[in-house]
Amino acid sequence: MDSALTEISEFIQAIPPMDLLPSNIIEQVVKEISICYVRRGQSLPPEGIVAANLYILRKGALSYVTENNELLGKYSEGDICTAFCLNNDDKTKVTSDEDTLLYSINYHNFHQLVSEYPDVLAFFQQTSEQRLNKKMLQVNEDAILNSSLLNSSIAHLCHDPVVSVSPDTSIQQAAILMTEQGFSCLVIVQNDQLLGIVTDKDIRRRCVAQGLGIEQPVSAIMTDDMATIDIKSTAYDALMMMTQKHIHHLPVTAYSQLKGMVTVTDLMNNEGQNAINITSITHKAKSVDELIEISSMIPKLQIRMAKLGTTADHVGKSISAITMAFTIRLIEMAEKLLGPPPVPYAWLAAGSQGRQEQFAHSDQDNALIISNEMQPQHGYWFKDLATFVSDGLAACGFIYCPGNVMATNPQWCQTQKKWSQYFAQWINTPDPKALMHCSTFFDLITVYGESSLLEQVRVKMLKKTQSSTLFIAHLSRNALNLRPPLGFFRDFVLIQDGENKATLDLKHNGIAPIVDLARIYALSEGISSVNTIERLKQAAGTPSLTKASAANLIDAYEFLSMLRMMHQANKLQKGQQPNNYLSPKDISKLEREHLKDAFKVIKTLQDSRQSTY
Amino acid sequence: MLNHHPLTRWLFGYEAQRKRMLKKAPEGPLRDFLSVPFPPLNTPLNCIPILAVDFETTGLDAVQDQLLSVGCVELNHNQIKLGSSYHQIINAKGSLKANNVTIHQITDDQKDQGQPLAEVIEQLLKRLAGKVMLVHFARIERQFLRQACLELYGMAPPFPIIDTLVVAKRRLDKRDLAYDPSELRLLALREKYDLPEHYAHNALNDSIATAELLLAQLSERSKHLSLQQLIL
Repeated sequence: MDSALTEISEFIQAIPPMDLLPSNIIEQVVKEISICYVRRGQSLPPEGIVAANLYILRKGALSYVTENNELLGKYSEGDICTAFCLNNDDKTKVTSDEDTLLYSINYHNFHQLVSEYPDVLAFFQQTSEQRLNKKMLQVNEDAILNSSLLNSSIAHLCHDPVVSVSPDTSIQQAAILMTEQGFSCLVIVQNDQLLGIVTDKDIRRRCVAQGLGIEQPVSAIMTDDMATIDIKSTAYDALMMMTQKHIHHLPVTAYSQLKGMVTVTDLMNNEGQNAINITSITHKAKSVDELIEISSMIPKLQIRMAKLGTTADHVGKSISAITMAFTIRLIEMAEKLLGPPPVPYAWLAAGSQGRQEQFAHSDQDNALIISNEMQPQHGYWFKDLATFVSDGLAACGFIYCPGNVMATNPQWCQTQKKWSQYFAQWINTPDPKALMHCSTFFDLITVYGESSLLEQVRVKMLKKTQSSTLFIAHLSRNALNLRPPLGFFRDFVLIQDGENKATLDLKHNGIAPIVDLARIYALSEGISSVNTIERLKQAAGTPSLTKASAANLIDAYEFLSMLRMMHQANKLQKGQQPNNYLSPKDISKLEREHLKDAFKVIKTLQDSRQSTY
Repeated sequence: MLNHHPLTRWLFGYEAQRKRMLKKAPEGPLRDFLSVPFPPLNTPLNCIPILAVDFETTGLDAVQDQLLSVGCVELNHNQIKLGSSYHQIINAKGSLKANNVTIHQITDDQKDQGQPLAEVIEQLLKRLAGKVMLVHFARIERQFLRQACLELYGMAPPFPIIDTLVVAKRRLDKRDLAYDPSELRLLALREKYDLPEHYAHNALNDSIATAELLLAQLSERSKHLSLQQLIL
């Protein structure tokens, strides 16, 4: 092309989605350009232009406002204004904030030039939601190629067939069979019914150590209340179950029929140096010092997973699983020191750990729920337990919760009855303090101990939230305090009132609003899950949330989480403390476009929440 | 002020000159150029057909020095049409002076592959017919174009011209304050209007840059301006 126009071509070609066009098409696009000058304060389209045009800002600034003059966004050098591409009845007004030099291109002609480039056309024709969805499809596809744990089906990992014996087989016969076949466990089956499981450890602990005769039936030493996992589950589900129940073998079933066996070793071989390895060595750690040593691997794991293209959901779940393993190991150590618990109890995780959305270096949010049988003198035992575990976690890099949401806080170390009262009070009297607690304590899960304690409370709590429109209204209003930004303006983040900020707070202005929305949907629909994506998936199609909106929110959530994960991985790699503040200078123009789309999705759902209440 | 008098305009105005010269002009590009009427002086600003033009030359003297390249682009209804842009290097005689090459960046090799002056001027006249020429600092373009026409056709036609330098100068003069003449350079004026940096000393780029400058200058003027207030 004429070398003189290279400057303009280069300018155009650097702007997504034009960067997808080859130079010969760019050359033709440049020939379609009319340069216009719009004086400050004038509105678009420029005088004399009636055709549907797209405008590329060469210099200056534009503001988009609604009919009611509410600022929607601002655009500057290198941004594309698509407001006039289609002659739709969009009521958006566009005015120039500065004297502005525009490259205007007839949209009809442009459309013809790029007709063979669907990705470019999509940019102009699709909605924010559609663009974001496309981006996340691609991200998830990459993640599937790169990662394994979450996406590996148990079906691909489990051993098949399993060695099974009848319950009247002698312990010795069983041991011989296991040795011959090289298996560390056997399944006990009668009439196609799964009765139990016997492992090497059972023979050692329940037979040899107890002096039980080896001619005794194997049913005498089997574990009958055994966990099984459905063949359709993922390797991650298996890991969670094994971590929680502290077991190494998991029979795999299909339609309640035994299909195979999956072991910790299978999972480890599948992942290599990874979350499972860390949880596995955590179980073997003998002292807090050993745990501290292991904890130094967590940031490295997070970096590795992020760089491999693992989804943020997967990373969050893996880090949460590791924290869970640390907590369980510390509780076991504490119980060894303090003696057995005086009454049943459960150790709970709240906040991001509860939601399984934790990243390295996040703070600990935990609590204790204790059986109503608890007597006043038992308080010391639980206080000692809480202190030991919480100090241990802090030593391993999980800093104390600044808001003191910890089991060491007497307020959060309570009986089941008291917890029920707490929830009832928060729901009946949703004052600001109650609402603040909601974001933490409505996301509880059991890490260790008697899980029925929490689940019973949860059932009652969900019944109440479902019927309390006042509570949901307060929760909704509270959630709307955190608004996403409008977009970007030059290298700044543009917020609601048109002001600029140097950085984007990914957590508070992006991720938290979605987490809050998901919680509201879950509480209004009586959904017991606490993980954000799970909540959104289950709320999809209920009166609270349409299926399409749920899919949009999940895309936005995954995209924002991914950016945060990459940002933190970069910080960790440089040996810096990870944070949630992203500078627009550090993200590509394309990522800014996706971010704007994500903000728009959040805003749409927040607005509809606002109009509901 | 004298040339604003109706009588002088009738005698010496560009349209009068065009008609007179049309009768004498030989067949060919010049005659074609002269046969299209220029826009009348009362044409409103946004209806003036404009061609922004820039030349790169080997020096400042139209007789001794040579035209090296021509760039131009149309400006209609306040829109610069990049599709109309034209840029051509001329196969000028002799070899280029080194100190000059650093300014216009045209090498001997490029020049040797250029087109003959006659063809380039014919192209330019075709584009200029019926339009007002827009330049920054008119002296160079006017003299070199006149000189080229004299050499090629034996006569030089009138060229109605808008000069962005003069548009700026008239405004500065009105303020009755001393100013540095360097403020009138194309780059300085563009900077004043916050126009983006451009790759200067390429004839097409400079012609686009000049057209953008005019758009910026006109944006602060009344919409009711006509050609009369802008023409040299």
